[in-house]
Amino acid sequence: MAVVEAPRAADVPPGQATGKSAIATALSAYPALWLLVLFLLLLPAFASSFVLVEIFGWALILGMIALSLMFLAGYGGMVSLVQMSVAGCAGYMVAIFGTSAVAEVSLGWPWWLAVPIAILIAVIFGTLSGALAVRTEGIYTIMITLAIASAFYYFTHQNYTIFNGFSGFNAVRAPRTLGIEWRAPVPFYYLTLFGAAVAYLAVVYVSRSPFGLALQGTRDNARRMAALGFNVTAHRIAAYTFAAVIAALAGVLLVWHGGQISPGTAGVGPVIDILIIAVAGGLGRPIGPFIGALIYVILRTFALDVLEGVGLDGKRFQLLIGLGFLLIVLFSPDGVLGLWSRWRDRLLQPWTDVRARDGGP
Amino acid sequence: MPTSVAERLSAAGTANALELRGVTRLFGALAALVDVTLTVRPGERRAVLGSNGAGKTTLFNCVTGDFPPTSGTIRFFGEDVTHFPPHERIRRGLRRTYQISALFTGLPVIDNVYLACCGVSRGRFSLLRPRRDDGLMQAAENLVQAVHLAAVKEQRVAELSHGQQRQLEIALALAGAPRFILFDEPAAGLSPPERSELIEILTSLPAHIGYIIIEHDMDVALRVVESVTMMHNGRIFKEGRPEEVESDSEVQELYLGAGHG
Amino acid sequence: MSDFIGRHPVWSLVILILLALLVFLVVAVWPPELEQVLGRKRVFLNALLNGITLGGLYFMVASGFTLIFGLMRNVNLAHGSLYLLGGYIGYEIARLTDGWLFSLVAAFVIVALIGIVLQFTIFRWMEGQDLRQTLVTIAISIILADIMLWRWGGDFYQVPMPSWLGGPVQVPLITAMRSSGELVFLQYPLVRLVILAGAVAIGVLMWLALNRTRIGMIIRAGVDDRDMLSASGVRVQIVFLLVFAFGAGLAGFAGVIGGTFQSLQPGEDVKILLASLVVVIVGGMGSITGAAVGAVLIGLAEQFGSVYMETYAVVLTFVIMVVVLAVRPQGLLRGY
Repeated sequence: MAVVEAPRAADVPPGQATGKSAIATALSAYPALWLLVLFLLLLPAFASSFVLVEIFGWALILGMIALSLMFLAGYGGMVSLVQMSVAGCAGYMVAIFGTSAVAEVSLGWPWWLAVPIAILIAVIFGTLSGALAVRTEGIYTIMITLAIASAFYYFTHQNYTIFNGFSGFNAVRAPRTLGIEWRAPVPFYYLTLFGAAVAYLAVVYVSRSPFGLALQGTRDNARRMAALGFNVTAHRIAAYTFAAVIAALAGVLLVWHGGQISPGTAGVGPVIDILIIAVAGGLGRPIGPFIGALIYVILRTFALDVLEGVGLDGKRFQLLIGLGFLLIVLFSPDGVLGLWSRWRDRLLQPWTDVRARDGGP
Repeated sequence: MPTSVAERLSAAGTANALELRGVTRLFGALAALVDVTLTVRPGERRAVLGSNGAGKTTLFNCVTGDFPPTSGTIRFFGEDVTHFPPHERIRRGLRRTYQISALFTGLPVIDNVYLACCGVSRGRFSLLRPRRDDGLMQAAENLVQAVHLAAVKEQRVAELSHGQQRQLEIALALAGAPRFILFDEPAAGLSPPERSELIEILTSLPAHIGYIIIEHDMDVALRVVESVTMMHNGRIFKEGRPEEVESDSEVQELYLGAGHG
Repeated sequence: MSDFIGRHPVWSLVILILLALLVFLVVAVWPPELEQVLGRKRVFLNALLNGITLGGLYFMVASGFTLIFGLMRNVNLAHGSLYLLGGYIGYEIARLTDGWLFSLVAAFVIVALIGIVLQFTIFRWMEGQDLRQTLVTIAISIILADIMLWRWGGDFYQVPMPSWLGGPVQVPLITAMRSSGELVFLQYPLVRLVILAGAVAIGVLMWLALNRTRIGMIIRAGVDDRDMLSASGVRVQIVFLLVFAFGAGLAGFAGVIGGTFQSLQPGEDVKILLASLVVVIVGGMGSITGAAVGAVLIGLAEQFGSVYMETYAVVLTFVIMVVVLAVRPQGLLRGY
């Protein structure tokens, strides 16, 4: 099943399967990227704590989860709605193995034990979900993963011995190590920036490794991949594992961000929101999910003012999201990135015409 | 299930490349293949001919493993592969091309060939990008040269001409170390010069690589094979040397008129 | 079916034994030892009948969903919203006109019209773009959910039931035997029995329509092979409109029914959608019979789960789904 638009081979020009590192190539191809990196690194110098943590930090975390969805959907042709649940699972495991206010359940292990275990469990959950979803035709993936995601929600809602049911866990604190209080605004911002950067670069790099190319092959023509000797099912499940690592990392940051986790964190609403974020940003390139996440977070933060400015009840945020999403799917299914590349092509059209005529570079 | 290397080697020494015994394939009430028994020696070049609906492509699909036969057995170099999944058969040296090019449209030409080289090698799951001197990458570059696509190797498949896509289709089947190839109408839609190039590629394949070619274009088919199998309504009804089959009265009655030209 | 028995003799035997066991449990008077282990028979019978009637409701929603998918490859994730919308509309109309049956028909018609509008203005242009259609249905479900929240708020509503449907009815199933030898029969709500009868009737009508009419044949052919449909020269778009309208209308209709013996509130749309997903995953996508089998299975699982395994009732349903996915990913009935 091809996704809305088959994504371009990569940000990076083809043939870069060998040679230069991802960072160097990306930066040399897109000078605008230098500015962005600089902006993000220097942000704490002029932005408030609120902007750092509640806007950018939150956007980077959601962006990571949406990136894990984009990896599966854009490179693998598999739209998985279980990524938010994987993140939620990791968040829950951090609370359960680490410290929280729910002393009857939390084991109180140190963070450097709790976090790796949490990620491991979440990755296993993501892999098993993938194993269930990949053996059917692509179009069922969205249904099956949605069903698994809601199973996770209901289970965490009903189970009190492990997941503490409806209330979930609170007072889940980010650690204090190396003399730094990591939940303080500036350190936490850099932590999420680091996490997002690692995830982003990993996806860009892996997309042109044999693993990543094989995944794209299974997207374009699974039957041919089998006829070339690939075990398509194994590759797809491995892709879910890779995506789950990213989602799990985001899940750890997620629970530290809010200091709490409950069934609603990975409920059907947030699960769908991640899909909306990924599609709205653009499933074609790994930067898309982060763009989508930023737009979503800004909308969410200022929705009240926007809505009331238009004369609507401030509570109609979901309506706004739904309408926005509908417009995007109807008129620019490849998201904001698609809009951007079409707009840019149209702007540059006179120049490319000139160059072609003069036989220039 | 997969046998040991020793068993495979000893079987391969004396075995036929491909051996079908009593292969039948039913689709509900439709009998696409009926009791097909076929033997191809290693290095043999054979054509399977017949009108549309004769069962030729179904035969290929069964041999590749897209679906199991309803009954009968398939042996590849002495090994019973009847219930192997496709990728297991490919890793034993079987290759196939498709009537309608089955290419990776989202990737450039060189990556298409690189994937074909990876498919049967160990580095399939590698998360590391290949280095400049990587063996598989070299193999891919060489293959691209061999099918005259070096000039367009960075281009995406969608930008290639039909003839170039068909060349790429063949390149994918030549990757790794093929022992036996199934070509499904490789000449479909090719211009006369492209057809000559195809004949050249086929005839200059190393002698140990055998193949079966399905083709409607009799001129191409009969020039590149040493034996012919005719199918009709899912059954094999004539086998022999190209000249014998061409001059056979039954074959002429059924096909020649539509087949030639 | 003889085909199935021929190919799977062991499974057929297992199913036969289970059915025989079930019949025994239902018909016979339970000895005290049995009641010690399984609890009161009345509880068991109630759970059984509740499960089947719930399954009837699920069938009504899931069959429309699976038909729309089977023919148009459109995973309509707005199906739950159509259900809830139909329920609210039925509530308003029943309140205004005091006519329950009329509100059923009205809900069907109105939601079917909405379905026609959706298919005609949006989905028609997206043929072949399966993912895009699904994304649109998600957007629509979000929009509808918020509009319904706006209009009807967070309270829960119940469609007023007509008096002739109220009250219990005696069902010829024995719950116990008094010491005098007199048999006690089960008292069961009439409304649920009527709903069950309705669901069965709808199922039979659908089966007849699909298997005995010309348009039904066209639809079935289209489900099997879409290219054949356009090649057959039939006005494909009209067929799509009809099927979407029918599926949507049926969901709205089911909404009124669900609103009568359950309730209408925000979140019911998601719940029924998820139930439909599980039903078609288990029963097999595109198969009406699969939807029926899946619906009864899931309905029973939910009811028995909530009675006998209270905390993990919901989990049982998903466990069934996971087992089916692991063992027979195309669904129980697909391929038959």
